[in-house]
Amino acid sequence: MPILDWINGEYIPHLLDGFLNPQKRVSLLYLSIAAALAIIWSVYVSRGSVRKGFLIARDKLFSQRVWFSHSARGDYKLLLANHALLLLIAPLLLSKLTATTALFFFFIDIFPSGAAVLSSTSPLLVAITYTIFLFLLDDFSRFATHFALHRVPALWAFHKIHHSAETLSPLTVYRTHPLEAVIFSFRAIVVQSSAISIFVFLFGSSVDLVSIYGVNAILFLFNVTGSNLRHSHIPIGYGRLAEHFLISPAQHQIHHSLDPNHYDRNFGAALAIWDWIAGSLCKSRTDMVLKFGLTDRENLQSQKLLHFYFSPFRELFDRGRNDPFYRNRNHRNLTKNAV
Amino acid sequence: MNKRLIASAFIIVAPAIATPASAGDAVYGKFPVTLKSWMGNETNSVAYTGQIARQVLHDSLKKLAGKGNGKPNAALQAEMMLYFEGKGKNRKILAPTSKGPFVIKQKTVGEISNPNLAGKTYKGTVSGMPNNMTGPELIKFWIGKAASANKGVDMANGYNYPQLISKFILGAVFYHQAVDNYLDEKMTAGNKPNNKPYKKGKHYTGKEHSWDEAFGYFGFPAHGLMLSPSQLYDIAKRKPTAVSIADANSDGKIDLYNEMVFGPAYYAAGSDKSKKTAYAKTIGKAFLDGRKLIASADGNALNSSQLGQIAQYARVIEENWEKTLAEATFKYAGSCFKDLQAIKANPSDAKVLAKYVKHWGELKGFSLAMQTGRKNLGDTATRLNRLIGFGPVMPNSSQVIDIDSGGNYVKDQASGINEYMGHMLKVQKLIVDKYGIKARKNDQLAGMSDMLKKLGSGSAAEND
Ligand SMILES: [Zn+2]
Repeated sequence: MPILDWINGEYIPHLLDGFLNPQKRVSLLYLSIAAALAIIWSVYVSRGSVRKGFLIARDKLFSQRVWFSHSARGDYKLLLANHALLLLIAPLLLSKLTATTALFFFFIDIFPSGAAVLSSTSPLLVAITYTIFLFLLDDFSRFATHFALHRVPALWAFHKIHHSAETLSPLTVYRTHPLEAVIFSFRAIVVQSSAISIFVFLFGSSVDLVSIYGVNAILFLFNVTGSNLRHSHIPIGYGRLAEHFLISPAQHQIHHSLDPNHYDRNFGAALAIWDWIAGSLCKSRTDMVLKFGLTDRENLQSQKLLHFYFSPFRELFDRGRNDPFYRNRNHRNLTKNAV
Repeated sequence: MNKRLIASAFIIVAPAIATPASAGDAVYGKFPVTLKSWMGNETNSVAYTGQIARQVLHDSLKKLAGKGNGKPNAALQAEMMLYFEGKGKNRKILAPTSKGPFVIKQKTVGEISNPNLAGKTYKGTVSGMPNNMTGPELIKFWIGKAASANKGVDMANGYNYPQLISKFILGAVFYHQAVDNYLDEKMTAGNKPNNKPYKKGKHYTGKEHSWDEAFGYFGFPAHGLMLSPSQLYDIAKRKPTAVSIADANSDGKIDLYNEMVFGPAYYAAGSDKSKKTAYAKTIGKAFLDGRKLIASADGNALNSSQLGQIAQYARVIEENWEKTLAEATFKYAGSCFKDLQAIKANPSDAKVLAKYVKHWGELKGFSLAMQTGRKNLGDTATRLNRLIGFGPVMPNSSQVIDIDSGGNYVKDQASGINEYMGHMLKVQKLIVDKYGIKARKNDQLAGMSDMLKKLGSGSAAEND
């Protein structure tokens, strides 16, 4: 059976790789670190009472309410189905190598005397520059993409699926519409191919990445400092000053919050500076009580896969039919009604 | 032949050859005399002495090209011309010569045969150099320059003549004669038929001998199919450890005629050492299979199906041979790129500059060699020639752009080293795109794919 072969030979190994490979955000390594951080935080907010801390952590991170909720089961369906879908369409997407080579020769053509101009720079300096540049470009492009997903109504129709999660667990990171996944992979191609082609063009040879366990060192720090808790009910904040620079788990929870004051805040992935500059930054408070999800009625109800996949298309179609001159200036009113 | 060699040869060759009844089956050694009209008592119809003698002339000419002392030297020039277009049984073999335990049987070219190179050199115009010179004209021009250059190298203009002459001849004589003559028109029905002698008075047929001549131009030992790429490579380098591997008849001497590895096969083996290609084996096997097919016709004219099969073997040989030249061009474009990088870091280092000039000679020579085959490379050739130019871009950004009527180089300012480094990368990309080569030594673009691998595939489905 070719399907069984494919499941055994491709699907399952890829799926497992997602949990074992430290290049993936939900690898067991990062998940266990996140769990430890959650427990430490819980003990801290219980003013040092270990017993009380464990109870809080159990309630917020390890309970059935989190992992077997209606919403969580929706996450799993999307995770499993998207995984298959993306494996199948991957060969159709533009290859990163093709894009990188094309860009590289484009630079050579438009700026021929610039090739390898910096080739005598010390390799260590080049590696550090490249690592930082790549991180900044990657993080900014995540911010910009996310910003567009919220502000462009046609895109919000798809990103809404992610925001329809009512309970958050680290696996909510995979609650994604496949069309978004295509956008995300295009983003990755643009970022990686431009960073690599620019550096190879300027420095004349391949450039080292400062890495830990084969991962961009900065990204590694981001992942071990609890990136997995951004999708959770553990509201770790970094304090008012640091939250201008780094997005804390609590700040991302604000991004998912139903409170109208929190709409379209904190688009950033690792860095908060982009939100700070764009005026969309919202710092966390220790006394906040957040509810997650959408108020849109249909989204409240269905966690069915078909609904996830097709409702954005139906929504776009209906909008177009009802109001061909539809211009959304304030999409939040249409989609997230204030409670 | 010693037993260990036979045993190890079997391990290497067994998977590659369809029906190896015995090791002897894998040797391009003895094939019966099939010519029906022949009454003599010869037992072997295989002969390619003229081709091996030309391999030796090439190696010797290359050696001579590096003998100049920087001053005009008419005697040296005349000696080079003797090896290029002269005749004379007593021409000494200047290379390859004995080296330690690697003892070579022949001392003079005449002990093998007595041909010349000029008569077999590509007669078309060489569009990659100025003044529309033909192949022989270009080599003579270079011989003249080499005679008055210091050790054959002109550091002011960036020409290493031994490399230019040698690499160009690998194409313009050996590759050209094999694929554009012996494996091309001489393998058609009307030419050199198999039921007639190659020439009056010869004991081999037209097809037998034409095929053998093409084989001789490849420079592959008769037992080459039983050897690994590194063994072939070591023989060409005359390494002490290669003596027992090369000396197939165990007479203690390496017979240049059928036990030595020459230029074309050496470069094929060089790529194959990467284990990403099998040019030498593929070419050697196609030669052997083709020869078996011709022998099986038993002195009758080849029928159309046999001719069709022979044409297929010929295409395999041509395609793979062309790729070995493309691999070499690719490799030296990468070397030049690296050398230029080193020059930028250390502009006053004469050693680095000499290396660059040497590698450029190899690059230019091989890129011109690629253009001497059966097919017109058209646009690919134009682009290769433009990217590489008539001379290397030197550290002061000067480059030869023409040769005047007096044979002097005309130089101009090129747009700089950086741009020329970009040209080297474009040469590599062009060759990968056009020839799909696999060994890709000195791949300057591989770094980008490694960098991509380091970034991992991530998951496109991760949402913020
Ligand atoms: Zn969002």
